[in-house]
Amino acid sequence: MKLIIEGLTKTYANGVKALDNVSLEIGKGMFGLLGPNGAGKSSLMRTLAGLQDADQGTLMLNDIDILKSPQELRKNLGYLPQEFGVYPKITAYQLLNHLAILKGVKNKGERKELVEHLLQKVNLFDKRHKVVKGFSGGMKQRIGIAQALIGNPQLIIVDEPTAGLDPGERNRFHNLLADVGSEVIVILSTHIVDDVRELCTEMAIMNLGRIIYNGGPEDAIATLEGQVWEKRIEREELNDYKNKYQVISEKMIAGKPLIHIQSEVLPAEGFKAVAPNLEDVFFSSIMSSSESVTL
Amino acid sequence: MFKEIFSRELGAALRVPMVYIFTFVFALMAFMAIVSDSVMIGGAIGAVHKNAPHIVTTFVTVLSIFGLLFAVAFFNNAALRDFNNNFDEILFTTPLNKAAYFFGRFLGALVLSTIPLIGVFLGVYLGTLLGPVFDWIPAERLGPTPWEAFLTNYLLFVLPNMFLSGALIYAMAQKWRSTIISFVGALIIIIGYIVSGNLLSDLENVQMAGLSDPFGIRAYSVDSRYFTTVEKNTLAPSFSGILLYNRLIWMSLGLIILLVSYFSFKPQKNPSASRFKLKKKAINLGSGASKPLGALPKVSLHYRGMGWQHFVSFFQDASRSILKNTVFKILAAFALILLSTDLINGFEYFGLKSYPLTYKMLDTIADSSGIFMMIIMVFFSGELVWRDRSSHIDEVIGATPHRAFNQLLAQAFALVYVASFLYLIYAVAAILAQLGQGFTNIELSLYLRQYIYTQLPTYIFYACLHLFIQVLVNNKYLGYFVSVLSLFVLDILWSVLDVSTNMLSLNGGPSISYSDMNDFGPGLVGHFWFTLYWLLFASLLLLVAGLLMQRHKSGNFISRLKQAKISFKGSYALIITSFFVAFSAVAGWVYYNTQVLNSYKTSDEIELLQADYEKKYKSYQNYPMPKITAIEYGIDIFPETRDVDVLAKMMLKNVGTEIIDSLFFTLDEDWETEISGPGVSEAWYDDKFGFKAFAIAKPLLPGDSLPLKITNIYRTKGFANSRGSTSIIRNGTFFNNGSVLPQMGYASNFELSDRNDRKKYDLKPKERMPKLQADSCDDKCMINYLSDGLSDWVSVKTTISTSSDQIAIAPGSLLKEWQEGDRNYYEYLVEQPSQNFYAFISADYQKASRKWNGIDLEVYYDEKHPYNVERMLDAIQKSLEYYTTNFGPYFHNEARIIEFPRYATFAQAFPGTMPYSEGFGFITNLEDEEGNNVVDAVIAHEMAHQWWAHQEIPALMQGATFLTESFSEYSSLMVMKQSSDAIKMREFLKYDMDRYLRGRSGESEKELPLLKVENQGYIHYGKGSVILFALQEMIGSDSVNAALSDFLAAYRYQAPPYPNAHDFMAYLRPRVADSLHYLLEDWIENITLYDFRLKEAELTEEGDLYTVNIDLESFKYRADTLGTENPVLLNEWVDVGFYSDEDEKELFYKKRIYIDEAEKSYRFELIQKPLKVAIDPQRIYIERDIKDNVKAL
Repeated sequence: MKLIIEGLTKTYANGVKALDNVSLEIGKGMFGLLGPNGAGKSSLMRTLAGLQDADQGTLMLNDIDILKSPQELRKNLGYLPQEFGVYPKITAYQLLNHLAILKGVKNKGERKELVEHLLQKVNLFDKRHKVVKGFSGGMKQRIGIAQALIGNPQLIIVDEPTAGLDPGERNRFHNLLADVGSEVIVILSTHIVDDVRELCTEMAIMNLGRIIYNGGPEDAIATLEGQVWEKRIEREELNDYKNKYQVISEKMIAGKPLIHIQSEVLPAEGFKAVAPNLEDVFFSSIMSSSESVTL
Repeated sequence: MFKEIFSRELGAALRVPMVYIFTFVFALMAFMAIVSDSVMIGGAIGAVHKNAPHIVTTFVTVLSIFGLLFAVAFFNNAALRDFNNNFDEILFTTPLNKAAYFFGRFLGALVLSTIPLIGVFLGVYLGTLLGPVFDWIPAERLGPTPWEAFLTNYLLFVLPNMFLSGALIYAMAQKWRSTIISFVGALIIIIGYIVSGNLLSDLENVQMAGLSDPFGIRAYSVDSRYFTTVEKNTLAPSFSGILLYNRLIWMSLGLIILLVSYFSFKPQKNPSASRFKLKKKAINLGSGASKPLGALPKVSLHYRGMGWQHFVSFFQDASRSILKNTVFKILAAFALILLSTDLINGFEYFGLKSYPLTYKMLDTIADSSGIFMMIIMVFFSGELVWRDRSSHIDEVIGATPHRAFNQLLAQAFALVYVASFLYLIYAVAAILAQLGQGFTNIELSLYLRQYIYTQLPTYIFYACLHLFIQVLVNNKYLGYFVSVLSLFVLDILWSVLDVSTNMLSLNGGPSISYSDMNDFGPGLVGHFWFTLYWLLFASLLLLVAGLLMQRHKSGNFISRLKQAKISFKGSYALIITSFFVAFSAVAGWVYYNTQVLNSYKTSDEIELLQADYEKKYKSYQNYPMPKITAIEYGIDIFPETRDVDVLAKMMLKNVGTEIIDSLFFTLDEDWETEISGPGVSEAWYDDKFGFKAFAIAKPLLPGDSLPLKITNIYRTKGFANSRGSTSIIRNGTFFNNGSVLPQMGYASNFELSDRNDRKKYDLKPKERMPKLQADSCDDKCMINYLSDGLSDWVSVKTTISTSSDQIAIAPGSLLKEWQEGDRNYYEYLVEQPSQNFYAFISADYQKASRKWNGIDLEVYYDEKHPYNVERMLDAIQKSLEYYTTNFGPYFHNEARIIEFPRYATFAQAFPGTMPYSEGFGFITNLEDEEGNNVVDAVIAHEMAHQWWAHQEIPALMQGATFLTESFSEYSSLMVMKQSSDAIKMREFLKYDMDRYLRGRSGESEKELPLLKVENQGYIHYGKGSVILFALQEMIGSDSVNAALSDFLAAYRYQAPPYPNAHDFMAYLRPRVADSLHYLLEDWIENITLYDFRLKEAELTEEGDLYTVNIDLESFKYRADTLGTENPVLLNEWVDVGFYSDEDEKELFYKKRIYIDEAEKSYRFELIQKPLKVAIDPQRIYIERDIKDNVKAL
């Protein structure tokens, strides 16, 4: 089972290059697509889901050419878009039942069993006759993943699924994904580094429409081994440090910035070597890719 | 702060194009209405200026209904903008002044919403300025720019209407913070307007109607209903009359709404919205982590043959979404309320109601629900197409393996289903209303057929059309706009381009209307074919929409076209192709039938033909012609095939002084005509106009006769673009002698008559009638107004046949009837030579008859309408009794009333026979009526024509219809008077008075005195009856009747010269006392109006003696032909009456007083206590304003 993306390019009418020669090979398991807002993740996801065409390139899921026969793809697809909305005045059961029909679950008994099973799985069985529109964000996302699981999909795409969820809901959501992630291809697009760290074995980092890293999270971290240093500084000093060093991240701890910089040698007094994490990889690669573009 | 908020509100809106677009559109509409004859708003006919104050007021009031749209847009925006932009929390945490915020926003929106209607003034101004300069419109069609009307219109309509609608919408928006609720506010106002319109249909309720209309439109039309041309041209709406009260009432209401809203307004988040959030939290609490339930159950997946299930699921989802929608529920409820008021109050006719026949219910359903069905179709087509996207579930749905077309098809079905569901509810409501009125003849099958024939195809067509538009336009609100435009813009375009084929008019086709006699009528076959044509067209639209639908979010039109090209393959392409082939085939068949087999002319072509005909053949008008003296008809009617064969043998006689060597005929292209006679040969034929000339080998010398044979054949072929003939039909064939034979000579009735039309073709204005000749009328009075000079008194014999299930009727007595094959034959003879003016009729009739003094009284009626037959026979008898006593003998052996289908609503008098439409009279509920009613009155009127028009016939000139229609209407009133008191008579007279005053308001050329009436209905019916009735109140009915019967005795069945109005006056004048001769001058020879006002009335009681003192103001005016009034001296005898009850029913005493001063006091002594006093209690004086004629004591 394999999804092969080759040379995918898309430029919007307003001139924005959303996808710039993207090539990836994705196998079974959870694949994390990491990138800041506006990196082109959603464009890639929508193209993968057959909802958007491309200017150039090919997309193959096994032997299905996604761009040429999107209908074939749809038979094997589970998709949870970034904005998962629901119809007003429709219950959870009605919604899943409708989508099950659309996905080809013809047999009424089977469909009922499937929908109820899914509702139990996402722990919303008690609320199945409640109007979905009134659900909280997390509950809605659970309905979203439930619908993505209908129809034995070979490819599941979830786009920014945890944005806006509280930690508890996010955790539940991860559990759900992990449950299904081993047998099929799951592409998880997110800008939250922890999502990828917790779930994925393979990942890619995307920025400005391009893939700037592709590999395992551990390998990524290994590339930065011994290069990340941290220091607590005063707020007034922040700009100086940014000018002097390659600051890859900053965060406030008790009112004072804690900065991470990337350097092959000890940059200066007061810096402390730390073990790189995925966040450092993310920021580091985004920073370098952005610089190369602005140059 | 107020200033800041107010100007911000204005400034923000003035920076976006919406205001300008609306203003421009309105200005353009007004401009076009001024400078073009193709665009008609407001009815500027005849001498009424196209920019007259009255016309401008009509523009403004009509367009202010559309103005509601701006009211919603601006006031809703003013109230909700902060909430919708989530700016409310920021705004309301500032130290905001509540009043400044609330009223600043409101007033800003108020000013904005009135701007577009100012565009009307701009358009009128520019049209007035530029129209004549560019020669678009002759300068005399325009008056000066009506600045005063602009101002008063703004202050009386534009501003108040926006204030009221705005207050309501703003208040509702502030309260519920929902755009949909704001639309409901607008709907409430429209409903108020429609309901008040229903009130207006009854004369009793005009005041109520005027007051209850929130727009003030009805108030203005009540105030201006009797406006003359001059008044329309000069009077701007003013702060007076019902309009003023209306404005005060509704402005107060608007103010109250606004103040209530202000005091309950809290500058904070919507309380209901926060409640909603609480609820969400409550749900949130129980949720937990996922349960490790193991693998999903195995399901089998199917992709082939799933289409049906996809369709059903989409359909359920779509129809559920509509049925649960608040807007839908509100619209459906409004339509139901409207329908109910119609069902309860409906079917008014001169204060009477008709039986709730099923077809009446169908008409009512169509009337009151039609607009709502259209709104539902337009609105929900957009809702459905955009439902996935606005719910943000489009990508999820788009990622499933369904066919996009299935969803679209399901949406179309959902729209049709919902509309059908509504129709069902309305049908049930109508049936309940029928049962509620104790009416049990409920034709369920008719409800069903109406649904299948018209409603269902209409729903399907518009569902597909609007869905297609939404998909094509790909923008919801633009889509709505295009949808609304599609409903009428295309028809306007075709009318401007003079295209009249129904094949291009969306969902067009021959009209069908149900008649109890003739079912759905002659248009049905054509209607079916056109329905099929449009259904196939609609299917194609939907299929194409299916191609254009796309899952791709960002595609522009070109990429969608590319996508559509890719999708056009396989079975889908096959389906589209086969639908296209089927559509083309049906289109070809419809084209063949409507354009080739039954070709027709457009209105412009007909106009041109009329003009050319006149230019080319007018000279033949004075060519000497023989007159018809006798005709023998052989007529065969074939109802099944709607064919007619006519063979007429006529005798022509040269009654003039010149030799006649030629004959001319104007043939009707619908008939195949052959004309032959001894020595008669065709000389030439102009087939463009159907004008045919014959040479007579042996010219007719004065006194010579010539037999002529005409065969005339009518064949119904296929179906036509329009309904086709409504006179030759399956059941209820009804045609008169004018249409079965070609017209002899030049047909002057074919000439253009409207003076503006005539001007367009360089024709001089046409005199409606020859001038009234004062004396020595002989040579100008040789032609009577019924036969156009082609005959005088004619004897007629007819042999007529029809199918075995029908009875055929021709004029005269039935001599014999027999059957031959499967056909019925009848032979009729008119024993008394009569006017050459009669009808031939065939239908499946029931017959009721009775004998009175040797005369057969007969009513031929449809078996479904037996209700009033006996009363009709009574009415004939009562008329005969009065007329034979007062006017002279009846000369026929029979008096027949014959029902004909409701394609026309009238009754008409031919010698001895009176066709009477099934649309009234036969179905009027008279069960609770005591004494006389309008059905009796109509019969009495038609019966009176047996004397006035059929025994005495006036010369063709001014005043002719005074001697027939006015006499008949007077006679009818006199029959009514035999069993009615003065108060009941006042009720009858009220309708005649209204008819006159309204009629003169709509006069397109000039109003004439009764003596010189030019076939103007409002004068000869309305005024003539009032005047003659008033005259008999003043000089006694004996005197009037004696004048009439003496006049009749002198001219009964007389050979020419025919009498004219002066001849009658010579008989009337001696019957009027010298002291009252002024009445003839005021009432008959001039146009005179009165205005009486009871200023004060005071009652003093002394024991059993009651003294009443009144102060009376009186005015008398002479009006010219355009309605300019000049005061004249008073010299009147008028009744003052006293009522003993509040309802003005018990007139226990009246006294005639002499009025010679404009202000005068009078004193009366009575021995019974009066509650009310009235000037002219019987309302026999022609007065426009009678509100001040009565005073309570």
